[in-house]
Amino acid sequence: MEMDRIGVVGLITTVFAALIFSTLIVEYEFPVFKYADPDQPPKLVENKTATIGQKVSQFLWDYRVIDLIAQAFVLFAAAACCTALLRTEEGKK
Amino acid sequence: MIPLNYYIACAVALYIIGMYCLASKRNMIKLVMGIEILVNAAHLSFIAFSAYRAVGYIDPLGHVVVIMSIGFAGCVTALALAIVTYAYKHYKTLDVRKLRRLKW
Amino acid sequence: MFTWPLDALLIFMVGTPAVGWLVHKNGYQKILGIYASASLLITAYFLYGLYKEAAEKGIILIVGQLPFSPPLGACLEIDMLSIFMAFLYIIIGLFATAYSIKFMESDSGLTEYYTLILGMIAGMIGIVFAGDFFTLFVFWELMCLTSYALVAFRKQKWEPIEAGFKYLVMSVAGSVTILLAMSFLYGMTGTLNFAALADGLTAATSEGWLYITLALVIVGFGVKAAIVPFHTWLPDAHSAAPSPISAMLSGVMVQTAVCALIRILLLVFNSAQPAWQMTLAVFAVFTMFGGNLMALLQNDLKRLLAFSTIAHLGYIIFGFATVSQDGLTAALFHTINHAIMKTLLFLCAGAFIRQTRTRDLRKLRGIGKTMPATVVFFSIGTIAIAAFPPLNGFWSEMMIISAGVRAEMIIFSTLTLANMALSVVYYFRLIRIIVLEEPTKVAKEAIRAPISMLIPLLILAFLCVFIGVYPGPFIGVSSKAAEAMLNIEAYIDSVLGGL
Repeated sequence: MEMDRIGVVGLITTVFAALIFSTLIVEYEFPVFKYADPDQPPKLVENKTATIGQKVSQFLWDYRVIDLIAQAFVLFAAAACCTALLRTEEGKK
Repeated sequence: MIPLNYYIACAVALYIIGMYCLASKRNMIKLVMGIEILVNAAHLSFIAFSAYRAVGYIDPLGHVVVIMSIGFAGCVTALALAIVTYAYKHYKTLDVRKLRRLKW
Repeated sequence: MFTWPLDALLIFMVGTPAVGWLVHKNGYQKILGIYASASLLITAYFLYGLYKEAAEKGIILIVGQLPFSPPLGACLEIDMLSIFMAFLYIIIGLFATAYSIKFMESDSGLTEYYTLILGMIAGMIGIVFAGDFFTLFVFWELMCLTSYALVAFRKQKWEPIEAGFKYLVMSVAGSVTILLAMSFLYGMTGTLNFAALADGLTAATSEGWLYITLALVIVGFGVKAAIVPFHTWLPDAHSAAPSPISAMLSGVMVQTAVCALIRILLLVFNSAQPAWQMTLAVFAVFTMFGGNLMALLQNDLKRLLAFSTIAHLGYIIFGFATVSQDGLTAALFHTINHAIMKTLLFLCAGAFIRQTRTRDLRKLRGIGKTMPATVVFFSIGTIAIAAFPPLNGFWSEMMIISAGVRAEMIIFSTLTLANMALSVVYYFRLIRIIVLEEPTKVAKEAIRAPISMLIPLLILAFLCVFIGVYPGPFIGVSSKAAEAMLNIEAYIDSVLGGL
């Protein structure tokens, strides 16, 4: 891996930043669900591998229908994007 | 169980590694891989929070977000690789530092 | 499904390839363009119906299936701001589509082009309609994906590919930063719904992690909204895209990012308001200076207009950073004006470029003698955007400065005024070069623009003059939208009220 001087400085900076942030995060508590509304309990699912897939997809279809339909349109648009980019020019220049 | 802070630290470290990869790698395909690393940092964070909602249970909201976001990351990668194909055709190299014709 | 306007637009988007396949003969481009424009008109009609419903009910809430209710379920929440911005997107989209019927006639792949334009407008409307953070993210991805392909549309040249790749990398980094911020917000409150987040986080006054999330949100949306350290993709992408797409990117897509950013900051980060207010004001001043100073050095017509967009975004963000009814009204009114003026300028620039095949200002000197109609519209647009009295730019820019003074941000207002004066320099340089000089050889060979390209320009120029002479109703509409934006209790009540 050849690197010029800036590359070496960048690498050292990145490693230091990652170490410093990791230490800070481990030291200072993250307010885990501290501001959650106690009147709105979550719909929890048991953590067993046999049933978890089916329960999560049931949640997906019950609660997040709008996002799913919008995602279908996003996938269609992505297919249209790739067709637009990978089209062949019919001899026009 | 491992305390939650370690998972968050890991997610932030992945985010920093992903940003480093985007900033310093020369090969365009490596930049696309850097994007994937960034996206996985956010996914790890979601799944970690989802697992710590209550002991022995998971919160499906986090899992649902990750399922759909993996789809988006795939679309973006497909589009990026299509653009890289044409960039190779025009510039004859995969080095992103050679794409310097557009200045000021 | 969703509401009628969004449904209609998405169904028309899916139907465009079918229409394109059916009319695959020689004169087919016009039919596709007419189909796209007609679908936008039908969407505008449905949106008007939605507006009447929202005017009486206040806020409309759309949920998926009724027993599965909002704090965990996805929802669309439509208020006056959403309808205001959606109308703006459809109107600008209509002008860009009508213009591209003639402009893009010699390009291949027009089926995909119109599909992607309709998809981009649908994504933008979905962003302002969203009531849940993840729904916003899904429509954000729709807008972003279509815009990457549209910028790199003319892939047989090197410039759109280079600009498109740089734009893609920076914009995806921004989107992922938004996703990371979303995960921290989910970790703090257990929900992703805007109203529930607003309700839960009002108690979080000095939480360090809230400030980290705030920074991530500003960076993530700021990449797309062209705030100055993160703006470097904008000049390249806006000059390399085809002109109607540049008009849409410059006129409405960056405004979408600003509008989404402000909506989230007002609702979710309400407890950290002094922090983000000052930060946004400082960023706004940097953005203004960056845009104006770089625009003074440009020789490329579209790059100059792109830097001018950055400067105007600085004004709009400053207007939003005052967080008062006057400031938000001024910023929203300037959004309408800037969209109309910038679209007019980019479409005229497109006409010049199509007829002469060059973007260099030194070669386009004196083109006013050979393309008189286009140049009249271009001059009207330039005078309007340089904030001269009878036209629309003057009112909105003066309103921004007066709102800034009233909100006790005197230094920032003075700097804004200095920037507006500075920008007059390069706008007049544009008019002098295009209108008053002697034509070069390239300019003499230009022929006049075709009538079907001139009609959108005529309507836009007429709107500039009309809003300038009679700004009352537009200021009234912006004021209602600003009021809806500031009314956080009503927003929270309409989702959580029944629970």
